Formats: sequence, structure tokens, C-alpha cells
Amino acid sequence: MRHHRGLAGIALGTMALAAPFATAQEQPYSGVTLNVASMNDQFSGPLVVLAPSFEAETGIAVKVDILSYPELLTKITADFIGETGGYDVVTMDIVWAGQFAEAGHTVLLNDWIARDAEEIGVDDIYPVLMQALGNYEGAQVAFPFAGYANVLAYRPDLYEAAGIAPPQTMEELVAAARALTDREANRYGWVANGQRGPAVAQDWMQYNAQMGGSILDAEGMPALNSPENVASLTVYKTLFDETAPPGAVDYDWGGREESFRQGLVANMQTWSVGAAGYDNPDLSKVVGNNALMLAPPGAGMEPRYGIGGWGLAINADIDETRQAAAWEYIKWVTSPEVQKQMAELGGGGYIRMSTLADPDLNALYPFLPVIHESFLNGDGEYRPRIPEYPEIQDILGTAVNAVLAGDVDPQEALDAAQEQAMELF
Amino acid sequence: MTSVGLATPAGRRRTGAPFAAGTFGQRRRLFLLALGLPSLLYVIAVALVPLAQGMWLSLFEYNLLRPDRRAFVGLDNYLEQISDPVVQQALWNTLVFTVLAVGIEFLLGLGLALLLWRDSLFNRVALALMLVPVAVTPLVVGLVFRALLTADFGMIGHFAAQWGLSGERGFFGYPNSAMGALIFIDVWQWTPLMALILLAGLKALPQEAIEAADVAGASPWQKLRLVIVPMLLPAIFLALVLRTMDAFRIFDSVFVTTKGGPDNATNVLMFHAVKEGLEFFNIGDASALSNLMLAAIGLIAAGFVLVIRRADRRMLG
Repeated sequence: MRHHRGLAGIALGTMALAAPFATAQEQPYSGVTLNVASMNDQFSGPLVVLAPSFEAETGIAVKVDILSYPELLTKITADFIGETGGYDVVTMDIVWAGQFAEAGHTVLLNDWIARDAEEIGVDDIYPVLMQALGNYEGAQVAFPFAGYANVLAYRPDLYEAAGIAPPQTMEELVAAARALTDREANRYGWVANGQRGPAVAQDWMQYNAQMGGSILDAEGMPALNSPENVASLTVYKTLFDETAPPGAVDYDWGGREESFRQGLVANMQTWSVGAAGYDNPDLSKVVGNNALMLAPPGAGMEPRYGIGGWGLAINADIDETRQAAAWEYIKWVTSPEVQKQMAELGGGGYIRMSTLADPDLNALYPFLPVIHESFLNGDGEYRPRIPEYPEIQDILGTAVNAVLAGDVDPQEALDAAQEQAMELF
Repeated sequence: MTSVGLATPAGRRRTGAPFAAGTFGQRRRLFLLALGLPSLLYVIAVALVPLAQGMWLSLFEYNLLRPDRRAFVGLDNYLEQISDPVVQQALWNTLVFTVLAVGIEFLLGLGLALLLWRDSLFNRVALALMLVPVAVTPLVVGLVFRALLTADFGMIGHFAAQWGLSGERGFFGYPNSAMGALIFIDVWQWTPLMALILLAGLKALPQEAIEAADVAGASPWQKLRLVIVPMLLPAIFLALVLRTMDAFRIFDSVFVTTKGGPDNATNVLMFHAVKEGLEFFNIGDASALSNLMLAAIGLIAAGFVLVIRRADRRMLG
């Protein structure tokens, strides 16, 4: 007995001595704590939940700071400008790529991606997401992390009751929205964001792109008052007046989603990330009576499915060891295994073909093929990812809202917006 | 004795004694200065330095995202802001909001203070309950009212639209009612504070003067107009200045309800400045706008001082 105890003691002692050696080899960044600035989105909860697993594997601790959109932008910009290195990894919205690239605040990932391409499984990542969620004119300022597709959420039960087939084109969608509106029954055929600012600007830009409009011209200059844009805004106004809930002129994303979950509307173009909530009886009155389909393009047009989402960027002000540790974290959190775990936890964003094809996830979320199809024909540029984007979005956000809520003429509103936008260039 | 008293400090100075030198009064002043020094340094660090920096930056074309393109532009940022129709609209919106919100809060607050003047258990409980809105963060108040007033599924907004109290788009869907809704939210939250300040002023009034007015046979209206309000002027001044400064800087409720819309109907100065500074990172423009707001608040406060002084002089003869 004493002999056995002695052996066990020796074994334990050997393990204890060997452990630091093994750790030093397998966990070169052990002891590093990474500070992650995360947008308060569906993926932020899973990021926090999965952080201990990463620490167990690598010895790198991860502290996730969950921030609202404006707070995130303000804090990381202050961190970059002050070169304080407060955050090691930041979530980067698709439309910030131009700003990040121009200012050079983040580590360029091109070389690391090329070096670790096999380990990462680059071929498994949708090319449109690799481009849109972090690449700006060849500079990879962020790595794709959570991709969203703009899809049409609709009510199959209402379509069936009205004897209408779900729309294949925008024109059919407009017709269906009119047919399914019944004001007396407090039911509306369509809904979109109408609130001044980013909310109305982003929804209209998506609609506008599907109808063949564009924010920039071929030379990359503002073309806000192009005939196509004016025509699409005119129809958009009619859609709002005739088929949307009256309060939609003040809806932001939350209000719009709520109107669908409350069973108020029959059609809503939205980000795929919210779809899991439609069948949650705690949140939704349309459980079992909702479906997703591809966002319909204008008649005779090539499909252009809007792409949104987030990339992960590394702060250029932190030292090389932390940068390397941050890259390890990015590779880990975007790996097929962790992406699947994130999806199971309700993360809602996807970047990999293998994740969207996963049988377990498809059983859990039957709408994944719609996202896959959208990513194959995705358009990440309908919101121009240029440094001037925030101002252009604001200008459009005021102009489109003025048309919808202030009854300003579309041509007049877009002419004024164009004039303001040109001052930025 | 006098010569000894004068000789002693001089003698100490001659021997080179350091800080302990000086009369009792001098040492006391030094001691008090030492006590106040941390606060002074704090104010300099967190208020005066940023203020000076803001003034300095307002003279530059400076965007945080393009720091290398910084250029001195003198007063151009100020001229640009003053001549910008959006800023002019925002200034008008801010003034309308401030005057109406603070005016209504003052009238309601004075009424409530007069009702709660008499010291009773009921009044004490009522006062405590009345202060609940003041304790809630303005951002949360805005979010709650946004949820309540939404026309399509808000508890108040839905019925208001049904009964014709608001247009079908709801209170936030039309320019005039959106501003009205913001004023209502502010009044709901801040009237109790106004009442509290005025009540404190009422409680401090000398009872003799009021009793004398009673004896003289003054009517309640005469008593209020000729005795109570003149004596309450310091409290009125404090309440109005505090609330005006605060209302002029309204941001939170706009941010979470209308985002400045519909169109530019509720776009107020602070919202516009925050957008310039923290969304577009145009630090030069945002600093110029902030300094203009500071000047406007200073002018309003000076106006209050002038009005109250004149009223004070007139009342006191």
C-alpha cells in the first residue's frame, strides 16, 4: 500500500513537473487575457459562454465586453485614436471596413490567412462573406465571424387563405402586400423600418438594390437622386402608405420584428439572424405560421441578396504576442466546431458552408438552406462600404424618413440628399 | 504688545522659517486652500481642461478617423454651424422643447408644491411616491414610453390611435405630436423635481409674513401673487435655471424614441452634436456646436438672473 502510494506520488510529481513544460509548448500564449469588444447581438451571449472552453484549450483568458452599437463604435474608435490598446479584438460591422482600412487601426490579416489557410479551411467560408465582412480593396482588416442574409419572412397561412403563391419578384411582393392588407382586421401586407436615421436608410437601400437602384455610380460617386432611386422611393412611399402598419414610419429593427411576431404583418424583409425567435412561443404569436424565403428581386433582374454581419478585427496598437494570441482566438471562434456550437447556442450568424449544411443544425433551424442560397448570390455592397458611409447613411436616413413621414416629394428629398452627399467627396 | 505681535512673524521670516510662517489668518487661509485644492484640481482636470481643449479643437477641421488631415480653420466651424439649416432647425426645436417643457413643469410643480405645503403624513407619502420618476434613468424612461406610445401595439398608443387622440401613425409618427410626446415624457419625469425644489423654498418662508397677509385680509390669489411668489423667487430661480440647463441638453429620450424624426421635427442640438462627434467623429464641428450650446445656456442663465433681479427689486420696492 505504502509502495503504491509512493508510485502515485512520483507519478503526480512527474506530471506536475511536466505540466508547465507541456503548457509552454502547447499553450504558448497561456496567461494572456484578451479583451473583446462585442456588439450586443445574438452572438455576444454565446461568445461569453464559450470563452472558458477557449481558455481550457489555450490558456488564453477572454473577457467579452458587450456594447450597444453606438457605444461599441465610440469606445473602439477612442481606443484606436488614443492608441490605448484597451481592446485586443473588436467586432466590426460590415459597413465599417472602409473606415478601418483607411485609418489603419487594425492588423492586416492577409498574410496570416494565407499562412494558415489549410488550418482555417478557407474554402469552407463563403467567398462573399470573406470579401464583405472584412476586406476593403484587398486589405483584410477583419475576419468574417457572423454573416447574415437579408431574407423575406412571410406568413404561409395568410398566403394560403388568400389563395396567393409566395412572391418570386418584387412586383409580386408589392401586389401580395396590397392583397393581404386588411385594415379593418388590423392586418397589414408588408412592413419595413421607417424611423429616421440608420433604420430607414438601411431598409430602403436593400429595397432599392433589389429594384435596380444604387447609392453610388460607376465611378464610386454618390448617385442618390438617380431616376432608378427616385422611382424606387416613390413605390416605397406607396407601400408604406397602403400596406404597412401606420406606426411603421417610426419603426426601428425592434419595432419591425415585433410587428411580425405579433402577427400584425404578412411580409417582412429582415436579417436571417432574428428568424429563430419567430417560433419561440414566449416571444411570438406566429409560431408554426411563419417561413423564410429568398428576398425576391425585381422582375427580370439578377438576384442580389443583401449581406450583412460582423467580422473580428485585431487592434494594431497591441504588442505582437497579444496580436498572435488574438489571431489564435479568431481562428478558434470561427472554426467549424465552434461555429456549430455558437449556432446551437442561438448565435444566429453563419460563415461556413459546412455549418449551414450540418444535419443537426438543419433539424434545429429548417430555414438554413435559404441562408445558404442567399450567401451564394450575396451582395455585400448595396450599402457602400466606404469611409463616408456613416454620413451618407445619415443623409439618406433623414431624406427617406422625410418622404415617408413628412410627405416630402421623393425627387425633392433625394435632390437635397445628393447635394449634401457630394459635399463629403 | 502690538510691536511684539508684528515683530514675531517678521523675526520668523528672517530666520528663514518656511510654510509655518504668517499670522493665524494667513495660516488659516493656507489651510483652507489646502483643503479645497483637491476639488479645485479635480474641476480643472475634468471640466476646465476639456473645455479649453474643446475650444481649441473647434478651430480645426478635425476628424478622428482621418487625424492626419487636421487643419486650422479659425472660426469656420462656427460659421458653418450657424448657417446650417439643420442646425438652425435643431436650435429652434431645442428652444421650443425647453420653453414648453420647463414652463409646464414649473406651473405643475408650483401647484404640486402648494398642495403638499402643509405638513401631513399623506403629503409626506405623496411626495416620496412622486419622486419615483426622478430616480429612473432618462434612457429607460424613454424606452418605456416608446413601448407604451407605439401606435400599433403600445398599451397607450394603440388606444390613443383608436379613439382619435393621436393620428393613426401614433404620437411619434407626426412632427407636432412627436415633439409633444417628448415634452410629455420630460414633464412626467421632471415635474416632481421642480415641485421638490419649490416645496423646499415654501417650507423655508417666514410664517409671520404669511400670517400678516391673512390678518390683512388678503385673498389666496393676492397672498400667492404678492407675498409667496416674491419671497419664493430664489427657489424659483434655482428650479428654473437647473431645469432649463438640463432641458436644453435633452438627448436620451430623443435617442431612444424618435432619433430626431419625423424628418427633422425633433432633431435637437445635443442629438445633432453627439451624432457629429461620436458617430461621424467630426470633432471640430462637434466642439464648435458644443461651445455654441454652452454660450446659449450661459445667455439663458444670465437672462434668468436679470429677470429675477428686476423682479426682486420691484417686489422689494
